[in-house]
Amino acid sequence: MSYVSLTINGINIKVSKGTTVLDAARQAGIFIPTLCHDPAIPRFGACRICVVEIPGMRNLPASCVTECTEGMQVFTESPAVVEARKTILELLLANHPQDCLTCDRNGDCRLQDYAFRYGVKESGFTGERKDYPLDDSNPYIIRDANKCILCGRCVRTCNAIAERSVIDFGYRGFGTKIVTAMDTPLGESDCVYCGRCVTVCPVGALTWKPLAGKGRTWEMSRQEVTCTFCDSGCTFEVLSKNGQNIGVVPKEPGSGRPLCLKGRLGLELKYLDEPAAPQLKKDGEFVEVSWAEALGLEDILSKLTK
Amino acid sequence: MTVAEVTLTINGISVTVPKGTTVLEAARQAGVFIPTFCHDPELTKFGACRMCVVEIPGMRNLPASCVTEATDGMVVHADSPAVQEARKVILELMLANHPMDCLTCGKNGDCRLQDYAYMYGVKTEPFEGEKHSYPLEDDNPFIVRDMNKCILCGKCVRACAEIQGKSIVDFAYRGFDAKITPAMDVPLSASECVFCGNCVAVCPVGALQEKGLRAAARTWEVQKVKTTCPYCGTGCSFELNVKDNKVVGVTSCDGDVNGRALCVKGRFGYGFIHHPDRLTTPLIKKDGVFVEASWDEAIGLVAAKLGQVKEQHGSESLAVLSSARCTNEENYLLQKFTRAVLGTNSIDHCARL
Repeated sequence: MSYVSLTINGINIKVSKGTTVLDAARQAGIFIPTLCHDPAIPRFGACRICVVEIPGMRNLPASCVTECTEGMQVFTESPAVVEARKTILELLLANHPQDCLTCDRNGDCRLQDYAFRYGVKESGFTGERKDYPLDDSNPYIIRDANKCILCGRCVRTCNAIAERSVIDFGYRGFGTKIVTAMDTPLGESDCVYCGRCVTVCPVGALTWKPLAGKGRTWEMSRQEVTCTFCDSGCTFEVLSKNGQNIGVVPKEPGSGRPLCLKGRLGLELKYLDEPAAPQLKKDGEFVEVSWAEALGLEDILSKLTK
Repeated sequence: MTVAEVTLTINGISVTVPKGTTVLEAARQAGVFIPTFCHDPELTKFGACRMCVVEIPGMRNLPASCVTEATDGMVVHADSPAVQEARKVILELMLANHPMDCLTCGKNGDCRLQDYAYMYGVKTEPFEGEKHSYPLEDDNPFIVRDMNKCILCGKCVRACAEIQGKSIVDFAYRGFDAKITPAMDVPLSASECVFCGNCVAVCPVGALQEKGLRAAARTWEVQKVKTTCPYCGTGCSFELNVKDNKVVGVTSCDGDVNGRALCVKGRFGYGFIHHPDRLTTPLIKKDGVFVEASWDEAIGLVAAKLGQVKEQHGSESLAVLSSARCTNEENYLLQKFTRAVLGTNSIDHCARL
């Protein structure tokens, strides 16, 4: 394998040819912020927050799509880079709701992390703001397109599975939006609610409906578990607050297999302290019933207890 | 003598408390949650914020539980629809004049206004009107005061008067203009403030923040390590706030000796920990210049010199001053060393000065 040597912030580093500047920096322990980058689906180069300064290059290139070359010099936090990042954040915040107060992603949001890091307290830009209705048409995922920064991670994650590909970019310019086919609510699409899009969303645009209002990230502890419903071995996280298990969210899909809804709902039954009760339709209305009734086991149970 | 007791019912739970207990204290004893802004167990009862209102049938309106005494047979509903509605309106009124900048606020994640807004689902500001626009006061090295975020709970006023005994700040002006200020509305730096930061420790929102700590880390990024202050012999407890293996600040915890009270040195004097000028090895002057030495070499040198002085001039030519920054055990050893090894009773301690 051939290698190239480069210098990042004065640190000499040798990486294999074809490595991006972002990956090289991370190998050297140097922080570069990213919004659209995802190691599983890399090289999108949309958000530009990972720009760096490389003398000799025409402008500030995005480090996630720039390959290292021999003798390259990189500055990741030069004044020009910091200024560019601040402007990017100001532009993003110019059209982002200021409601961290009650946002379920407060404390687990890259936009917030970077705004704090770079001291961007408010946007210097005023203008039109998106005013989309909240899409909570399904029992699992809440989509708030007003908070979307169009990084496309959800799109790429969804499209990585051929039979999924439920969402993509729609419309143009200011009207650009992540949409299902024909821009229907998620509840009317082919979405199977595997939740990988929620897992990769860097902001509050995609959140878990069953967890809405149940806790902020710093109030919860996370325990990694492996799904037991098939042999793929997808990993999930059990979230707990005040000693109570309150939710199960997907973490990593097993090889060749997406995280499925069956796994997550099954694990909810297995781990949650108060899992949802089964419901049966009676006289046209869903009513809560016992598991024995839902599974039609009342007769057998009564015989067993006899 | 037996203490008179009263029995009341809170959210259907029967609880017996000593006469004179407030409904809030009784509820906490019964494990029933009631939100508070202005209440603090260490400070006088204030009843200003009204967040702790409860419903007590027979009472004229919703009383503030922090200043309502529990009576025998009293029935209390701490979370009824009327109570929830009242709390929501109180939050909406507070948020009508509060900056929506949790995004970069140093208290994000450790703010009661945020906690309760999240808990009661108060997302928007239905009341529109004038908003405060005070300049940020950050001209001192310790405390940042943002009066736009102040909810006028008055905890800082009471902490300053009742814990620190300084009474530097108080309410000033009236109505919409009401504000917490030092005398003559000067900045803290121009007042008699000693920057103990005990006001910061009780502030329930982002109005008072530790300057260094809140710029260095968000509340959920730090690991808190409880320890004892090394500065003097009082032995105050506090929590070191550690981020990426570095101490980035100090916050109060409930110490046996000091409660949450600290002094300026304990709360803000942590800069030496990672300071580049800090001595990490002994230094010995050789040819007029200090050079780094091993502990064996340094202790050997001190032992030889002390022995030399004792031999040439006698034990009474030696005296020892020990330090409050040492532990009891170290101080004990030093006096033992002074009397048994150096052979003099001339030992004193800086805490006596």
